Amino acid sequence: MSTTYVWWAIAIYVLASLFVAYLSRSGKQSSMSSYFIGDRKLNGFVSALSYSATTYSAFMLVGLSGLTYMGGVGALGFELIYLMGVSLVAFFGPRFWLVGKKYGYVTPSEMLGDRYDNKAVAIVVSISSCLFLIPYSAVQLAGVGYLLQGMTDNAISFTTGVIIATVLAIVFSFIAGIRSVAWTDSLQALFMIITSTVVVIIIISKLGGLGDFIHTLETDHSELLTVPGNGFWNFTTFLGMTIPWFFFSLSNPQVSQRLYMPKSLKSLKTMLMGFMIFGFIYTIVAIVWGFSAAIKFPGLENADLATPLLLSSDLVPPILGAIVMVGIMAAAVSTIDSILLTLSSLFARDVYGNLKKGATDLMQLRVGKLVIPIIAILAFLFAELEVNLIAVLSVASSAGLLVVVPAIIGTFFWKRGTAAGVLTSVIIGGLIVVIIELTQIKPLGLASGIWGIVISTLLFIIVSLLTKAPEKKANEFLGYIRTALEKEKR
Amino acid sequence: MKANEWKWALAILVIILLAYILPYTILTEVANWYGSLLIWIVLTLIVIIMNYFISRNWGK
Repeated sequence: MSTTYVWWAIAIYVLASLFVAYLSRSGKQSSMSSYFIGDRKLNGFVSALSYSATTYSAFMLVGLSGLTYMGGVGALGFELIYLMGVSLVAFFGPRFWLVGKKYGYVTPSEMLGDRYDNKAVAIVVSISSCLFLIPYSAVQLAGVGYLLQGMTDNAISFTTGVIIATVLAIVFSFIAGIRSVAWTDSLQALFMIITSTVVVIIIISKLGGLGDFIHTLETDHSELLTVPGNGFWNFTTFLGMTIPWFFFSLSNPQVSQRLYMPKSLKSLKTMLMGFMIFGFIYTIVAIVWGFSAAIKFPGLENADLATPLLLSSDLVPPILGAIVMVGIMAAAVSTIDSILLTLSSLFARDVYGNLKKGATDLMQLRVGKLVIPIIAILAFLFAELEVNLIAVLSVASSAGLLVVVPAIIGTFFWKRGTAAGVLTSVIIGGLIVVIIELTQIKPLGLASGIWGIVISTLLFIIVSLLTKAPEKKANEFLGYIRTALEKEKR
Repeated sequence: MKANEWKWALAILVIILLAYILPYTILTEVANWYGSLLIWIVLTLIVIIMNYFISRNWGK
């Protein structure tokens, strides 16, 4: 593909996004809640698109297509089970939203610290989120690097791609905090889904239409239509990849924090439904994409190159190829900037705010803004390590975040949960995930995520039962939710 | 959780279990578009519709 096209597409994308980011600067962003969660005033449409852009990243059209390319339809099951898991928002969403409004929470870890009546809980949970989310952002950055490198045949280097993505993410989150992130996210989400859908339709028609496409799959690549198929998606792998992603909407603070942002429960509903429809379409597009690559370029060693090859092939008109490539880049950037913003709010609110005595809201905000570029640079350094298979590292990070899920469920559904229970489950569970990932020893053949969730659940329950629960806070917190939900029902 | 919520949660759980079980049992030999590919899509659509019903009255 012509490098000139690629540069033009990037330039137009950057200008359009900067313009939207500039327009989003309304009001003063002079408090934590206004800079990081938009004063809880996001409308449903922007919430839905921004939630989609944050969730769906370069992983979809690079990693998920790669998984389809290698192992077939199992990738569809994997991603759709994640989407079904977003049903958790239907149960936890209104609860997060109600207590967020009532107690003024800015971060999910702040909520845990308050509910379990222990500052250490907020500190430990937010630090563990940072530890696991920085590699995840690095994966996104690396995705952009691979993409530009692959599509321009090394004319744009891996590092150049990574630097562009890092700078954009910093700028988008800096201009107006969550407002610029949410609005640029929305633009990018529309861009991602429209361009990729158009291209998939073109690819299918060039491969002879839907009938021929399916026929070719069924006759020449039939192993791609079943699980375990060629063996890639054996059941333990499937389980090990799906479980962490199933809980993604709770375990990942950059998305669970969004449950505080909609301006009303009605907006929260729009966010949930809008996201599910977006996710459904985008998943199908990514899977068809992977199948097309398998038909057109069988036998690649590095499956992550399937997408760049497909985009620069004769199936896709060059200008459109460049545009879609930028769409994938937008997917990555819109995920990274949200993570950057969330992590800096976690650090400022829960780590700095709790450790520094008398840290005012304004001081927290200053620290938060200061931390944004620091986290971005850490992610950049990680990305430069050039990990081979993008999808695998993504899953490893979400495995680490999983250990906080029992504590989040306990927040709303188990009065007996205690701070000691949360601390042991998050710290020991997290360490076990790290050890399994580093040594690559899989006890009983099960992945780190499964061990993480099982061990953290057991620890949370056992240690909680052995220690004293914050009864007063728990009763007040859960009592408020009960009455508020009943009021909503009427 | 309200009684109504438990029923929905259980229904969604059943669908998700089917999404794990069916493709790895009776559909392992069905290498056609109407095998695992279709079943996963259909099960997801059912879950999306259920989410619509759960959230239908929020904020009303």
